[in-house]
Amino acid sequence: MSDADHTPGGPAGDVTPQASEHLNIKVTDNNNEVFFKIKRSTALKKLMDAFCERQGKSPTAVRFLFDGQRVQPNDTPDTLEMTDGDTLEVHQEQVGGGPY
Amino acid sequence: MSMLCQARLQEERKQWRKDHPFGFFAKPVRNSQGVLDLKKWECGVPGKDKTLWEGGLFKLEVTFPDEYPTKPPKCKFVPPLFHPNVYPSGTVCLSILNEEEGWKPAITIKEILIGIQSLLNEPNPESPAQAEAYNLFKKDRSAYERKVKHIVRENPAP
Repeated sequence: MSDADHTPGGPAGDVTPQASEHLNIKVTDNNNEVFFKIKRSTALKKLMDAFCERQGKSPTAVRFLFDGQRVQPNDTPDTLEMTDGDTLEVHQEQVGGGPY
Repeated sequence: MSMLCQARLQEERKQWRKDHPFGFFAKPVRNSQGVLDLKKWECGVPGKDKTLWEGGLFKLEVTFPDEYPTKPPKCKFVPPLFHPNVYPSGTVCLSILNEEEGWKPAITIKEILIGIQSLLNEPNPESPAQAEAYNLFKKDRSAYERKVKHIVRENPAP
């Protein structure tokens, strides 16, 4: 953790208030939205598995993105500097290809 | 940084975190000391579904001047993108980003990025910014389309 988030007059939009231990995270696949309450220190694998189970999707068929980056199973809200109300996107796993 | 500029950028980031279009990202970068630089953002625009650009994610550096939001930000594809309305430097040439044309202080980052996404598949050949993409677009449309597909494969969504 850096103390960058606590610079006086710093970027409020990215300041993480340390008050609450739990965060509400929205998970969306652009069709369904599911809200999860998760501890800051809990691995996001738990949330990803729960989402897949609820939507009847295989965890290998989808990928989760936060702020444009792929979420790894052992990432936590803390390591990704998430804040209450942030969104995880679920994209279908894809493989590129073409005739050339 | 002026108070107005800073307050507006903080609000933009807050609103973005709360809600943003699917597949896009937009976040202030950290400088070498690890401090967030609100005037420089790293953004990603996905190609629109059911277009040639589908499946690609194109990265931009968005730089806000001190006079923002009176003046528009500069949006630059990194690396520069093959597109008739993108300068060889990567800078996007779009009316809503031009102070003398369509820029209005009320235009949000979300609107800018959605505008850039539309531009991908709707180039304006009346106002070319680079020769390579413009010439191919005008002279050999199927070669242009092949080239775009190739670029999409080189810039897949993460």
